[in-house]
Amino acid sequence: MTTSGAEGILERVHEGVERAGEGDVIAFAAIVRDHQSMVFSIAYHFLRDRGLAEEMGQEVFLELHRNFRSIESPAHLVFWLRKVVVRRCIDQARRRAFWPKLRLDEVPEPAVAARESDPMLSRALARLVASLPEKPRMVVILRFQEDLDPADIAELLDMPVATVKSHLQRALAILREKLARTVGEIAI
Amino acid sequence: MSYLEEDLKAALRRVEAPEDFAQRVLARAASPEARPASWWKELGRLLRPPRVQWVALSVIASVLIPVAGTEYRKQRQVRIEGEMAKDRLVFAMRFAGVKLHHTQQKVLGLTQTDNRL
Repeated sequence: MTTSGAEGILERVHEGVERAGEGDVIAFAAIVRDHQSMVFSIAYHFLRDRGLAEEMGQEVFLELHRNFRSIESPAHLVFWLRKVVVRRCIDQARRRAFWPKLRLDEVPEPAVAARESDPMLSRALARLVASLPEKPRMVVILRFQEDLDPADIAELLDMPVATVKSHLQRALAILREKLARTVGEIAI
Repeated sequence: MSYLEEDLKAALRRVEAPEDFAQRVLARAASPEARPASWWKELGRLLRPPRVQWVALSVIASVLIPVAGTEYRKQRQVRIEGEMAKDRLVFAMRFAGVKLHHTQQKVLGLTQTDNRL
């Protein structure tokens, strides 16, 4: 993408933010379409429930609709959406104390040895991620889905960068160990 | 980046939201419930109990207010009568004190006269 092309898109997005803030439905719809995948995916990977993720995603955009005047820029819009969906996901998990935590030994084992970009491996990994505690789970999702740096994740989750790094390292160690065990069992 | 991290990227790649996601958001945003309520409406909503509670509150109030009023009037009457009785007692004691003083003076005067004689 050329620099002028990127600037053109940014300008269009900025205009959209301004127009949506003034009650322009078309501009708001365009913003929803541009960001629905990000919001829905964070909720879906965290909750592992499409219906719940869709409901939460809609709530996030409705909250955006109510607070549009507080949005200052396209970057602020993305940050705001991520922050709200992250907060809602963690609240949801806490509210539902009976939330059925997926036990690692309940994760279906892949039928064949794992290989890179194997869809079964991806599904197993996604479920392993869903079995992590709330904060490390969200750290992993933001790191690998949204490709955010630990500093950005720390800002979103209101925690020190060192804590984010610690969550990330521990989560990766757990995932590596469990995945190796699963794959090892299959190999035997 | 390790294999695990690459696998995680693949496992956690973004997924598409349902097709009619945006339309549903817009429909909900257009509905009156989605519009932000003013602070005074929110306050009114918080202070608005269900109808049954209003009825119960009215019944309790209609019983308690007359009882409380009657009791207050009784207490006030007792207090006024008490104050009057106290005033009368103080006056009687002062009067008796003055009389006693006069009598004592007279007795003292007679005693001194007897001594001189």
